Amino acid sequence: MFAGVPIVSIIILLPLIGALVTFGLGRFERYAKYVALGFSLAALVLSILVGLEFIVDPDPTAPGYHEGFRDPRGFGFFNFQYYEEYTWIESLGISYIVGLDGISLPLFILTTLLSTLSILFSWDTTLRPKEYFGLMLVLEVGVLGVFSALDYFLFYVFWEVVLIPMYFMIGVWGGPRKDYAAIKFFIYTHVASLAILIAIMAMYFQSGSGSFSMEAIARSSLQLDAFGRTFQIVAFGALFFGFGVKVPMVPFHTWLPDAHVEAPTAGSVLLAGLLLKMGGYGIIRVAIPTFPTGAHELQILMAVIAVVSILYGALLCLAQTDLKKMVAYSSISHMGFVLLGYATFTELGMVAGVFQMFAHGLVTAVLFMMCGVVQHKCGTREIPLLGGLSKKMPAASTMMTIGFLASLGLPGLVSFAAEFMVLASMFQTWAFWLFLPILSVAVTAGYYLWALQRSMFGPLTDKIDTAHVHDVSWYESIPVSLLLVLIAIFGVFPFLIFNFISPAIEIVTSLPGLLGGA
Amino acid sequence: MSVLNYLESLIPQLILLAFALVLPAFDYLLKDKRFLSGIALAPLIALAAAIVSWLFFGLWTPPASTIPLIELDTFSGLFMLVFVSVGIVVVLSSPEFIRKDRNQGEYYALILLAITGMTLVAEGNDLFMLFVGLEISGIASFALSGFRKTEKRSAEAATKYFIVGGFSSAITLFAISIVYGVAGTTNLNIMGTALDAAFTGLEGSETFLLLGVVLFMAGLGFKIAMVPFHMWAPDVYEGAPTPISGFLAAASKKMGFAAFFKIFLFGIVVSKGDWEVAVGALAILTMTVGNLIAVSQTNIKRMLAYSSIAQAGYILIALPVGTQYAIAGGLFHILTHAFMKSGAFMVVAAMGAIAVGERLEDFKGLSRRSPFLAISMTLFLLSLAGIPPLAGFASKFVIFSSAVYGSISPGPEWLVWLAIAGVLNSALSLYYYARVIKYMYMDKGPTGPLKPTPMIASAIVVALVMTVVLGVYPDPVISACREAAELFSGLPIGLG
Repeated sequence: MFAGVPIVSIIILLPLIGALVTFGLGRFERYAKYVALGFSLAALVLSILVGLEFIVDPDPTAPGYHEGFRDPRGFGFFNFQYYEEYTWIESLGISYIVGLDGISLPLFILTTLLSTLSILFSWDTTLRPKEYFGLMLVLEVGVLGVFSALDYFLFYVFWEVVLIPMYFMIGVWGGPRKDYAAIKFFIYTHVASLAILIAIMAMYFQSGSGSFSMEAIARSSLQLDAFGRTFQIVAFGALFFGFGVKVPMVPFHTWLPDAHVEAPTAGSVLLAGLLLKMGGYGIIRVAIPTFPTGAHELQILMAVIAVVSILYGALLCLAQTDLKKMVAYSSISHMGFVLLGYATFTELGMVAGVFQMFAHGLVTAVLFMMCGVVQHKCGTREIPLLGGLSKKMPAASTMMTIGFLASLGLPGLVSFAAEFMVLASMFQTWAFWLFLPILSVAVTAGYYLWALQRSMFGPLTDKIDTAHVHDVSWYESIPVSLLLVLIAIFGVFPFLIFNFISPAIEIVTSLPGLLGGA
Repeated sequence: MSVLNYLESLIPQLILLAFALVLPAFDYLLKDKRFLSGIALAPLIALAAAIVSWLFFGLWTPPASTIPLIELDTFSGLFMLVFVSVGIVVVLSSPEFIRKDRNQGEYYALILLAITGMTLVAEGNDLFMLFVGLEISGIASFALSGFRKTEKRSAEAATKYFIVGGFSSAITLFAISIVYGVAGTTNLNIMGTALDAAFTGLEGSETFLLLGVVLFMAGLGFKIAMVPFHMWAPDVYEGAPTPISGFLAAASKKMGFAAFFKIFLFGIVVSKGDWEVAVGALAILTMTVGNLIAVSQTNIKRMLAYSSIAQAGYILIALPVGTQYAIAGGLFHILTHAFMKSGAFMVVAAMGAIAVGERLEDFKGLSRRSPFLAISMTLFLLSLAGIPPLAGFASKFVIFSSAVYGSISPGPEWLVWLAIAGVLNSALSLYYYARVIKYMYMDKGPTGPLKPTPMIASAIVVALVMTVVLGVYPDPVISACREAAELFSGLPIGLG
């Protein structure tokens, strides 16, 4: 269908055009949401069509197929479909290269999906709507670009573009401490980006390839051994730090609760659902395949950070009284599973890590949307002030219950498959150390059920005025229901996504340096 | 060789000079003083068009110079482009800003004179020609910063600038005399060989040259506001009329860099081992001090002044790295900084022209009052902070990466710290740039729409278009900068 069509660029361009149109609406500001929804929906439909056409186990007949280089010894770089390459800044060896493979495709579709649903969820935004919806589309452009860019310069440009709309979303439409949260988010993640930037420059020059293409640099690393052991460790460390702040990993997680608590609901959905995935994606796309020896040397560090993030994040959740803050901290714990899956260096673990990103994107979007609903209807998210809301808002409490159960890993829902596989791969690699991350399963169930019990069930609260509390509105229930359906489908049939991810991950796990070989 | 032959190579300067001399006369002839800016724009636009058609479209090539003191090559062409484009932006934004002032003809004449001096520095390949150019432009700039002579701040700025400028000129002259004493020539082309000969022939001449190097650093350091010679800049930028502040930050300072590059990386590059650590340390000091002090400023012009001190620190990275690629990066950043910094000053000027103050608080709620000014300022500030895909990111990328590569080859390894200091400073600078953006978009302020006058708006649009275009498609300019840097043929290329 899309053979010969620059479809990835078109999908990236659609929200960009949409953003420009939205910003330029002038006095027709009230139509901003329709324009934004239209453009993001178009991107969503096209990306789903791409997903349907995508060939799971790629062969040269796939549309826009580009095979990564293959070393005679059997390893190499990812194979892409819908590959596009144009020269951009010739004098520095910078090109515009985009393409999709099994790792990026699920995240690419997740991006168009969550952007569309967030726009729908924000249907009643009245404060400066054209800026609000325009910025959401700019954010979508940046994230789509990160997940499809195959040139480091381009990747970094998209990576940084994401910061600005998010800074404004927190700063303009945020809660009471928005000023602090916005600047903290901006500077914290910008510093992390700069570590990535330095690493990119260093690998560009050290590789001697004269090109910023990811493939060219990976080739220098894997085939020509351009990077010595020390260089690999330092460069991998810088990239791991840069991407890890975005994930976020303990101890660089403190920007996240502030940003989440103050961000508007749709901002939180995009922040947790998409921006955190950028970090996890960078590690599996860039850091590990380019520096397998560096990754090998830092494997234990990765695993320790992952386990600490899982446990510490879960424990922090227990202590929260703000529903949204609890959900924010739970992201730290759940994203820790992504890192843990990677750190095993097994195919099972890495596939599960990528799948967990997809799963967490769906689940956390539901949770933040439900926090938004509670805030919207009750005027507060403080758990001690809530109680018995299921009597007033039965549909909302049903959705919230399913969401919480999905997040705590109920079998049959999407997170279970991902986290179970991560834990299984951890057992393969480190055997009885499994007891550490598995503790978090109990804690997670604890804080979710406890929060649910205190806020939704029991006697109706008298601490807030519940007379005017209504159930969910249509523009809130549609996105949440849709996500819940997807959570159930992919929970029962996780292989629908696994099949995409596995062939790409096999290329990573076949790298000899990863297991300490040459 | 007749006199006319000599003059042939000075055509750009003669055109500027001619317009500068007739402008005061038109001041008496014209009723509507706004036409004066049109007269001042004519030579600038003509020169800009000539340079662009030469450098980027290859439509013509300037003939070889007939005067041994000057040379028109890609390097000087790029610098001249910076000077005339800043000139265009400044002249465009001036008529409304100075509409109530007297002596408007002289104002434009002085701007053209200052640019004349700058173009001489860009073209000069002899220490004396550089000095003459620095002086011509310096004296015009002193007068410009005191243009509102009845205003106390403006007069104070001019006095300070004059004293410091005169002092630095004297130091520069002293440095020239020492270098001349050692090398026996003031011509930069043959200075390298002359110095080599002197080092072998004359005992102690290396030590003596070192004195000249230090004096050059101080004298030219004043011009580019390098820490610790930067104290004058914030006071002068604050007191001068805002378009002139933009002119000083975006053009005058770049003239200092033209001289700095020519002298340090061409003339006395043989002694690079002696000064590279010192200049590297001063680069880090300059960017750090500039950014740290900028954080605490409450006046937007002072903040921009400190920010431009910090930017000078980034450009200085090119000197200790000393590869052709680093010079290309320095040139590129000079070019992008000229647009983004002059653009930011013109936004301030636009607000000044419609009677809004210069304090940071005056920017509160600007996004409601004038979306155009707010979005322009946002883009200029984000570009200064180095956020892609704007011009400031592309040029910082080239400079910082040149330091990273310099540390890999040809070494020494400490050069990578210049890049690390640069990126950390960029993160620090984001704090005070983002604060202005916060004021404009997130805080409530006075209401009532503001309408920038059309000519200032057009100046801002020019700077804005360049800031975006140089960020999204920098290839032709980077190629031109690298070609210009090839003239420093004695230096390693520095790009794999």
